[in-house]
Amino acid sequence: MSKVVEISPTTRHEGHSKLVLKVNDAGIIETGNWCSITPVRGVEKLAVGKTPEQVPKIASRVCGICPIAHTIAATEAMEASIKCEIPKDALMLRHILQLANRLHSIALHDILILPDFYIPGTETKINPFTAEEPVRSVAKRIQRLREIGQTIGQISGGECIHPSNTRVGGMYRNCSEQAKTKMYDLAKEGLVLAHQQAEFMIAVIRNYHKRDFVDVGGMKVALPKNLGFHDQGYLATHAFYGSSSLEECPSWDPNRFKEVRPWDWYMGEMTVDLEEPKYPIGGTTKIGTKVNPQMEACTGIPMYDGQPVEVGPRARLVTYKYFDEKGTQGQNVAREMEYQDCLYEMIDCIDLLNPNGKVVADYIPDGDGSLGWATNEAPRGTDAHIARVKDWKVQYFSMLVPTTWNFATCSKALEGAPWQLAEVIMRGYDPCVSCATHMIVMDEDNKLVAQKLIQ
Amino acid sequence: MGAELGNYKSCVSARSTDKEILRHAQDGGIVTQLFGFALDEGIIDGAIVAATKEFAHKHPEKAMMDNSNMEFHEPWRPIPVVVTTKADMLAAAGTKYNISPNVSLIKEATRSFGLDKVGIVGTPCQMQAVRKGQLYPIGLRDVGSSIALAVGIFCMENFPYQSIIQLVEDHAAMKMESVRKMEIGKGKFWVYGKRGQVVQLPLKVTHKYEQPGCHVCLDYVANLADVSTGSVGSPDGWSTVFVRSKIGDSVWGKAMAAGCFETQPIEKVKPGLELVTKLANEKITKNKKTLEERATFGVGKALRNPYI
Repeated sequence: MSKVVEISPTTRHEGHSKLVLKVNDAGIIETGNWCSITPVRGVEKLAVGKTPEQVPKIASRVCGICPIAHTIAATEAMEASIKCEIPKDALMLRHILQLANRLHSIALHDILILPDFYIPGTETKINPFTAEEPVRSVAKRIQRLREIGQTIGQISGGECIHPSNTRVGGMYRNCSEQAKTKMYDLAKEGLVLAHQQAEFMIAVIRNYHKRDFVDVGGMKVALPKNLGFHDQGYLATHAFYGSSSLEECPSWDPNRFKEVRPWDWYMGEMTVDLEEPKYPIGGTTKIGTKVNPQMEACTGIPMYDGQPVEVGPRARLVTYKYFDEKGTQGQNVAREMEYQDCLYEMIDCIDLLNPNGKVVADYIPDGDGSLGWATNEAPRGTDAHIARVKDWKVQYFSMLVPTTWNFATCSKALEGAPWQLAEVIMRGYDPCVSCATHMIVMDEDNKLVAQKLIQ
Repeated sequence: MGAELGNYKSCVSARSTDKEILRHAQDGGIVTQLFGFALDEGIIDGAIVAATKEFAHKHPEKAMMDNSNMEFHEPWRPIPVVVTTKADMLAAAGTKYNISPNVSLIKEATRSFGLDKVGIVGTPCQMQAVRKGQLYPIGLRDVGSSIALAVGIFCMENFPYQSIIQLVEDHAAMKMESVRKMEIGKGKFWVYGKRGQVVQLPLKVTHKYEQPGCHVCLDYVANLADVSTGSVGSPDGWSTVFVRSKIGDSVWGKAMAAGCFETQPIEKVKPGLELVTKLANEKITKNKKTLEERATFGVGKALRNPYI
């Protein structure tokens, strides 16, 4: 008979989420629901009636981990709606900014997943904060990589969290020759560190997945070889950056996208009847607690061609680089492989940047109310923003953010895994939950469905 | 009072040994020489200084120019710029006698200008802002640790740009464009024209044009700067220099060792520290009155004394 276990809250990722798992007698997940429980942000509603200048700044505030992807996607959605072409150097600055954000985010994710893994050849789990080698130098390297990413982001974007330099029509300022050189030097330094870091991480990840048993809070859990496998599709719109036009990059078609409500997707009300006090940290939810993923989940379920898809580093590598590793292992390895790619691309962009070039478009139209969209490949997947601007006022704004795409896909990937490893699978998606939680869904009668959740 | 000159390690009367700098400088060329030396030595890799319209037009990439502040490019309107060479520094030298928002560039200097070690020059209130930004870096992420040298200048009060137009164009009857230099000294406001004309206005005339916000300031000699300087207390062509902090002491010591400045003991020069003290006390006494007035201003909502 299946039992219900709840891990709430999930840890070592951004935002608040929980896992509600229906497991069989052997503790294998039959149905897994991963749901966001971060309160709704309402950014899309705030955006209506504002100027296109303001909305990307507001959209960015949805979260501080990949605000750059949100700012760029929102800005480019506005530009797509008003049909404004930006100068090449502005685009280069945005590319650099976006890659800098990815660099810091991969490094941050390393810190978050390392405690799951073992020092190869030992039975010691990695504590990234220990003062002992070899972990100490890894932690220092991660810090330096993050510092490099954030500093380059500051130079190209004005600010590494909530960039101030992007604007509708380009960028406010180009950078100086000196700043260009500084970015170049930093990227070169980062490249060496990224190679070392990726090698270390891939060794650690592969070592973990070769094991037969792993330890979770003192429990010995059999590790399946197909941990995190799913049969859903992949979605990526660009190997590095993004796109705002089907002609330029035929990857994301808004017409093939549909969003359903959580109560059509998640499990209904249930009672927790399996409890494990040893589970880190502080045990799972107490027996007898009522759970209701349908009503508690704060996200919509986006579908592409009628099914949930995976977005993120593996999706990018599968789509553009013939990557074929599946499961959680494939996901984590793909993310590490993006380290060097990200810096090589950044160096190319810095080379192409002309510090004396123009960065603001000569003519910025007011917008005629046509629909514009832009996708941006955030560190954790495709971030698509849709906007409609008329007479310099935003009439409609919607964000389809990476982790929203991944919620449903990850729920599928949980099936067949021991429940104790559900969080390991979830962390493979590098979840960033708070930006995923901003659902405003209209049903057929144009009624606001999200109100049901707020009630 | 005793505390009117702030804490300082040493005080001298000094001037630059570089004739070129002295030719461009307001008095002793202290700021220009000190920043020039710090740039050469790698103590700073750029400095935020007040330049003019001509400079900003010639080097738009060094100023914070976007569409929003183009209309401010009027003669003698100070424009904060980031300079990275001695030549630029010289081109920007000299006092402008109205408000230059230097602190507005401090964040951008560490961003798109790519500086790691920033030098900044400013009035006492701007030094307060810089130090406050270092203590409470809200909106100034990573900026505090990048400030490598803060040079303060003596300030009795400042004028808004509109006031300078009134003083020069109405009282001194001179076109702004034809002004070569402005100066306050010997109790007068001096305007030197490019064709050689000199107009002096008694300071009594200028008082009503002062910025009212300046009348709550109790700092005459930039107490919070690393090094503060001004003409008061030293003979013509010389400046009084207070070396205040450890950083200031180290930079000043190196600059002296490199022969950048010639100095005289402040005790030996006329009018000397006595005048600086007198003026500092005058400013403090006068402005304390404003603070007291403000304490009773409004209906039960007295404006807070910023010093307590």
